[in-house]
Amino acid sequence: MALLEKQRTRAGEEGPRPAPRLSLLTKDRLAAAPFLLGAVALVAALLLVPFLATAYQSLTRDDGFTSSFIGFDNYLALLQDPTFGRSLLNTLLWTVGTLILPVGLGLLIAVLTNAVPGGRWLKYVFVLPYALSGTATAVIWGFILRSDGALNQAIEFFGGDASTSGWLLTWPTNTIVMIVASTWQATGVTVILFMIGLQAIPKEVVQAGELDGASGLRLFWHVVLPQLRPVTIVVVGMSIANSLRVFDLIWLLTKGGPGAASETLAVTMYRQTFILSDYGTGAAVAVILSVIVVGASWFYLRHQYKRG
Amino acid sequence: MYGMKRRSLVTAAAGGVPAALVLASCSQGSSSGGQSSDVVTLNGDRADFTDAYGLAGAELEAITGYAIEPRNVPSTENYQQVVRSSLQTDSTTDLVKWWNGYRLQDLARSGGLADLSGQWDSAVDQGWVNPETRDSFSYDGKVYGIPMYKSYWVVFYNTGVFDQVGIAPPATWDEFEENNAKLRDAGVTPLFATQEAGWTSSIWFAEILSKLDPVFYADLMVGEAKYTDEPAQEAMRIWSGMYAEGYFTAADVAWDSEPSLLAKGEVAQVPMGTWRNGTFAEAGLGEADYSAFLLPTVHPDTAPSVIVESGSISVAENAPNKEAALETMANWLAPEVQQPWVDNIKDTSANPQVTTDDPILETVLEAVGAQEPTELVRYWEASPPALIEGGVQYLGAFMADPSESNIMPTLENLQTLADDEWAQWDAGS
Repeated sequence: MALLEKQRTRAGEEGPRPAPRLSLLTKDRLAAAPFLLGAVALVAALLLVPFLATAYQSLTRDDGFTSSFIGFDNYLALLQDPTFGRSLLNTLLWTVGTLILPVGLGLLIAVLTNAVPGGRWLKYVFVLPYALSGTATAVIWGFILRSDGALNQAIEFFGGDASTSGWLLTWPTNTIVMIVASTWQATGVTVILFMIGLQAIPKEVVQAGELDGASGLRLFWHVVLPQLRPVTIVVVGMSIANSLRVFDLIWLLTKGGPGAASETLAVTMYRQTFILSDYGTGAAVAVILSVIVVGASWFYLRHQYKRG
Repeated sequence: MYGMKRRSLVTAAAGGVPAALVLASCSQGSSSGGQSSDVVTLNGDRADFTDAYGLAGAELEAITGYAIEPRNVPSTENYQQVVRSSLQTDSTTDLVKWWNGYRLQDLARSGGLADLSGQWDSAVDQGWVNPETRDSFSYDGKVYGIPMYKSYWVVFYNTGVFDQVGIAPPATWDEFEENNAKLRDAGVTPLFATQEAGWTSSIWFAEILSKLDPVFYADLMVGEAKYTDEPAQEAMRIWSGMYAEGYFTAADVAWDSEPSLLAKGEVAQVPMGTWRNGTFAEAGLGEADYSAFLLPTVHPDTAPSVIVESGSISVAENAPNKEAALETMANWLAPEVQQPWVDNIKDTSANPQVTTDDPILETVLEAVGAQEPTELVRYWEASPPALIEGGVQYLGAFMADPSESNIMPTLENLQTLADDEWAQWDAGS
């Protein structure tokens, strides 16, 4: 929104009729309003109203049948709950892990496959898992990661000592292997986006860099990478939002367990609401999660566009 | 032309909102739709019961004039939400499949269920149900559910593996331990256990504790004993010791793979309710390939007990076809209805007059007849739902780390949870 407004102001300033600038702008805006009405109504009906309803529900004790107003008790109870602390920590691990792995690997794969002959085909190997749903990914990785799964069988086949405690059974190993599983699936889209970014870099810029004597890492760091900035903003923004709301993979692989060891905020929200039928606490987690997702995205994008 | 297109787009977008609202209001009634006076609708989470509902419904129709029209929500979690959100509206189904014990009480105290005390008493008068089980289907002195089936918790075993290893079903706990050692030494995992499905982490805790001290188990479940008391500690030590001996499958083995692991003989014994019997048959186990025994008591002088579980069927207070639903429930336990029902679901009936020709269930019923064990409510239904759901998490965490040093932290966590949840439960009633 901030960006759009900025552009519009500039367009107004550079327009051919500078004298009645402000009133025309207001007029323009008023004229645009009816066209926005449909979209705004939809957003209000489908997003804002449910959000306000959820925010209100988070202030109640609600078991699905009866509901009573209890103020901020649900939030206070969450703050004192060690499970919620673990859930926040896991969410942070997911965010950091998703930023390092899918984004870093995506960039690496895009750059390498862009440079080598036959890379166009090679990249499909990495892109293909992106076509799978999160559920299918979880089922596949379940076969691999369970104690009687393919990974332990392979380790034993090669004479190794398979982990007796299980990949999915101890923290933080379970969260880390699930981030790896998520990386396997999510890297595809970052590869595609970085590929588009790479192909959009004008050849002249790279050639100019080469003429100036840059090559290899130096060329990449100082010439190619800055050109990828707009794409990187999008990729990182998407990764942050995706990692904060990760659910399906965790639910199918560990159900957030053992205990609540691998829960993230999205899983906690689901468990409180749909397993424990504690709709008030579930709504409180939902509000906290929404604030974090919107806050993180807003802060990141605003910061990035300001710099841009 | 262009302008017109735009205008029609705006109209369409503006029209979209009311259209969505209309759609939403239509979908509300979907669980009750298709009311016709000669059927009662039943909502449940067991799609595999559909044929059996049809068979029982045909018999019910002959008696009452009303057949059963089943709907299924395959996921148990989603199903519970559907019932919670629809029970007190006019979009509920007439009949609702639920669970007995505290889960039924949770629903009953919301005021959403019809009083079935009359139907229960009439069933008792005709000898169709064991009157001692009344509490398990009651809240505040009134009956709110009629038992759907009666599952005994037993240990299923692969007869071929037992023959190969040269062992027989155990009559004592020592024999049970000896069998496990022999099976392990023969390269077969003796016992199935997993926390992968969440609730499954309660199975061994409940089995061992109930065989160690059935009175304590019953007290613990209703909040009259503490998780930190000695019998619970002893049960956990036994469980931990069995883990140390290597008797169990890994704690993250897929619950769905249990029937196939038993069928292939990779796991020799599986503790499970007899409701799983039909699934074992589907996994390719023939009648001669597997059987079942009641787990012996830990000490020979302990009174025998068996954990029992019943699904229940309730009538919604707002049932669109309530009179028909009440009449259906008055006849649900009739032998001619129960016989085709349990034959199809391959489980035992709550009506003691109904027999079974399934050899595995016959074995179980013979053992029950011979030992006359005390019937205990399953862990899942025996305490308030929030305590159970939290409890299985702690037990699951223990299965991931079943060391001696993890026993007391686990039990202390369980007791803290129990204190909180019993207080919540008492405040709600």
